[in-house]
Amino acid sequence: MDIGLLAQYLANGIMLGTMYALVAVGFTLFFGVLDVIKFSHGDVLMLGTFAGFTVWLGLEAAGISNPWVQLVLILIASMAFTAAAGAAIAKYLVLPLKKAPPLNTLLITLMLGTAIREAVRLFYPNGSNPKAFPSLLPDASVDLGGFLLRADSVILVVAGLGLITGLNLMLNRTRLGLAIRAVAQDEETARTMGINYMVVVLATFGIGSGVAAFAGIMNGLYYNEINFGMGLLLGLIGFSAAIVGGLGNLYGAILGGFIFAGLQVVGSALLPFASAYKDVFAFAVVIAIMAWKPTGLIPERTSDRV
Amino acid sequence: MTDIAIDTPSRPKGWLPGVLTILFVAVYSWALLIAEEDWEVMGLIALAAAVVVLGLFTGLGNKVKASWSAHEKPLNLGALIGVLAVIFTLSDQHFPLLMLTTTLLYFLASLGLNIQFGYTGMVNFAGAAFFGAGAYTAAVFGNVEWFPPLLTLVAGGLVAMALGLLLVYPIVRTTGHYAAVVTIAFGVLFKTFLEVNEILGGPQGLMVNSMRLPGWDFNNSPTLFGMEASFYFNYAVFAAILVAVIFTFVRRMERSWLGLHMDAVRLDETAAACFGISIHRTKILAFLSGNLILGIAGALYGMMISFIAPTSFTFSDSLLMVSIVLLGGMGSPWGGAIAAAIVVLLPEKLQILQEYRFLLFAVLVMLVLLFRPDGLLPRQIRNYFPGARNGQ
Amino acid sequence: MTNSLLEFRNLTKRFGGVTALDDFSMHLNRGEILGLIGPNGSGKTTSFNLLTGIYPASGGSIFFDGEDITNKSPRKVYEAGVVRTFQRSRLCLPLSIYDNIMIGDTSRLKTGICANLLGRKAFRKQYEETFEKARSLVATFSGNLADRMMEPVGALPMIERRRIEICRALISEPRLLLLDEPSAGMTHDETDQLMTDILDVRARGEGLSIIIVEHEMGVIERITDRCVVLSYGRKIAEGSYAEVAADAEVQNAYLGVD
Repeated sequence: MDIGLLAQYLANGIMLGTMYALVAVGFTLFFGVLDVIKFSHGDVLMLGTFAGFTVWLGLEAAGISNPWVQLVLILIASMAFTAAAGAAIAKYLVLPLKKAPPLNTLLITLMLGTAIREAVRLFYPNGSNPKAFPSLLPDASVDLGGFLLRADSVILVVAGLGLITGLNLMLNRTRLGLAIRAVAQDEETARTMGINYMVVVLATFGIGSGVAAFAGIMNGLYYNEINFGMGLLLGLIGFSAAIVGGLGNLYGAILGGFIFAGLQVVGSALLPFASAYKDVFAFAVVIAIMAWKPTGLIPERTSDRV
Repeated sequence: MTDIAIDTPSRPKGWLPGVLTILFVAVYSWALLIAEEDWEVMGLIALAAAVVVLGLFTGLGNKVKASWSAHEKPLNLGALIGVLAVIFTLSDQHFPLLMLTTTLLYFLASLGLNIQFGYTGMVNFAGAAFFGAGAYTAAVFGNVEWFPPLLTLVAGGLVAMALGLLLVYPIVRTTGHYAAVVTIAFGVLFKTFLEVNEILGGPQGLMVNSMRLPGWDFNNSPTLFGMEASFYFNYAVFAAILVAVIFTFVRRMERSWLGLHMDAVRLDETAAACFGISIHRTKILAFLSGNLILGIAGALYGMMISFIAPTSFTFSDSLLMVSIVLLGGMGSPWGGAIAAAIVVLLPEKLQILQEYRFLLFAVLVMLVLLFRPDGLLPRQIRNYFPGARNGQ
Repeated sequence: MTNSLLEFRNLTKRFGGVTALDDFSMHLNRGEILGLIGPNGSGKTTSFNLLTGIYPASGGSIFFDGEDITNKSPRKVYEAGVVRTFQRSRLCLPLSIYDNIMIGDTSRLKTGICANLLGRKAFRKQYEETFEKARSLVATFSGNLADRMMEPVGALPMIERRRIEICRALISEPRLLLLDEPSAGMTHDETDQLMTDILDVRARGEGLSIIIVEHEMGVIERITDRCVVLSYGRKIAEGSYAEVAADAEVQNAYLGVD
């Protein structure tokens, strides 16, 4: 295999890994504070991407066509919208089920995901067809010996990794981050220390969802296409990544995201005759990892007090 | 001294409420199945809602429950006769029979999921995949000339069970969300595999040969009382009997030490292990027997609709199956019957709903989880020998 | 040491950096009632969890009736005749009283697939026998409950649940019963009655040994033959209740003085 192709695979893997990690950190954050899985995460992300797309349509209609202005406004709108949706779901669907068996939360958010997906398909104008997402980033590229390094990929990966780093700094250096970690450690103690539990939970769900919206826009900019089903697979992959890495752990989610991307890339590289099998391969390895490490690569602290 | 139907204050012992219920449900199903106009269907749905409200607020529902637990065996047999009667009255109508049989097979699938999810607490998000494994097995074996079709049905179940065996190791090692991801990954993997695999027909799918028993070809239309019946009549009768047999076994499993161990594992694994219950054995038994039932249901479904494609066995379909169990009530077999009827019949009968069915059921299940987590027909407390006095 | 039913040899358990149990050795004589006492977090429940195989030991060994049962699965430990109750009640709330008690009798139930699905006559016979047995055991603790065997446990008050939990542990006629704070959430009189009932059941069978973890010192004084005192995972005293109660180190441990 020549070096150019290898570099191409590598670049592709990093791109996908960043995207998956952005989705997976949401799952792990939610699990950290509430010990629940919010499966609608992927579909909320899709909803946010459609919100961003709608803003773009509005900007075009209003005659604002500077791509940078458009990009910033799309991102702000999409992330803010998704954050609000995530917080609302936490408040009205997840928290009311706090006393029920944990799988009920998984189930109700699975159903919510279906509802959101179907609602977009049925009620968004021409929602069942894919939409052409604009390419707003510069389309320059550098030829590195048989391998084209696209400027937009570089910008997307740098921005995505920057966002994850920022999230990590926020969790470790700010008061809000401290409060989130306190709630994740021990809800009761955090409450007695005067932390506003509700605010922390809603903020966590908002932040986690907003970060995922960035992955959605990234996906749109990279593939220049969005559709109502994009959230299902992204959510599924993000969930698998978070689980493979080990729930409740930011590094686990990032690790899981890159592992999944790596598996897909390796899958399509090793099976060039049938690259369609790359998802089969990736999910099979996920199952194998679960058999090997039943609580993820970086195990979650167990809390079954006897 | 002690008696069974505790949650009924009045304790009537008569069989009449049970028999009347069977009669009502049979007539109602018949009417719903042949109703064609939207207003007829709407009227029947309103009637059902009114009956449910009446049953809840007048104590009529409790009377039926008490009657059923006092005379369970004859009433269950009565229910089977009721279904067969509906099938006979509809014997020349293709579409109503197809819908009725589909409902029966989804009910059958829900019985399998119930063992896994309702009793043992193992959520299976790949229900449609195991159902599909049965259907694809029927397609492959059905084309083998010498292979008896009845065995094809069994083979469908066994292949689904064998696929389950592949997952057994990660499934018994993981719990909760981690186990959920194993079945979700498998469901996606299975459907993607079918789509990219050329031998199994790829995205176009496969033809399935029909069911045949010695002297009974399901593709022929039987003649009843000088009238030619629909060929779906064969499938409907066969499915009803199959459901009755498997229902009996699932009930026996629930009302045995095996069922007790499944409940113990679901409710508290640590305590169960401390009293010598083998968590692994219980989970493996539940997972495999559930998949066996899913596979059998899928095989017969494939033979009936005679054409299968990967799009019928998606993650959304698996969710629909989980919805049936949740709507009906976890661990409540009869609940599964009602929920299967709602999930299968409603969108077929109300064509305007067809397009919206996934949305509709998603919202319905969310409401159930929020406001009635035990489902439409909550599970009754285990009674090993209903109708009998308790070992005294 | 042929007389001892149970023996801990240098048992150690570490959770990450915390040593919950540190080089703990003790023995239990046949037929003895032993009190395991000590301040919160001193390792009492941890030693139960190691003994019943819920956690693996970090070091040391456990011998039951001369056999090494260190790190055996909870099931093997149960089959050897060791049962327990839990600090926080761990009953199956949606199941009936009868069901909950039968969970404790696994070793004697026929759990073959054919036996359960096909041989309903034989199953029924076993059901009727066990029902009678469970009912008479429950009747020892509460006559009122014996007539409500098919009611869900979730509908019962806390004290009745405690009784059911002890019935679940006793139904298999174990050789060693581990009681983890049986008095939690009960009044003084209720605890007293419960202890009398347990001693009643013990007197009927042959030589049930008991280890009891308890904060209520009245209970310990009344029923134990001997006490072992733990503090920060280490054994600090051993002897009759009167002896350990007079021990200066024990008093320090309880008062928090170093």
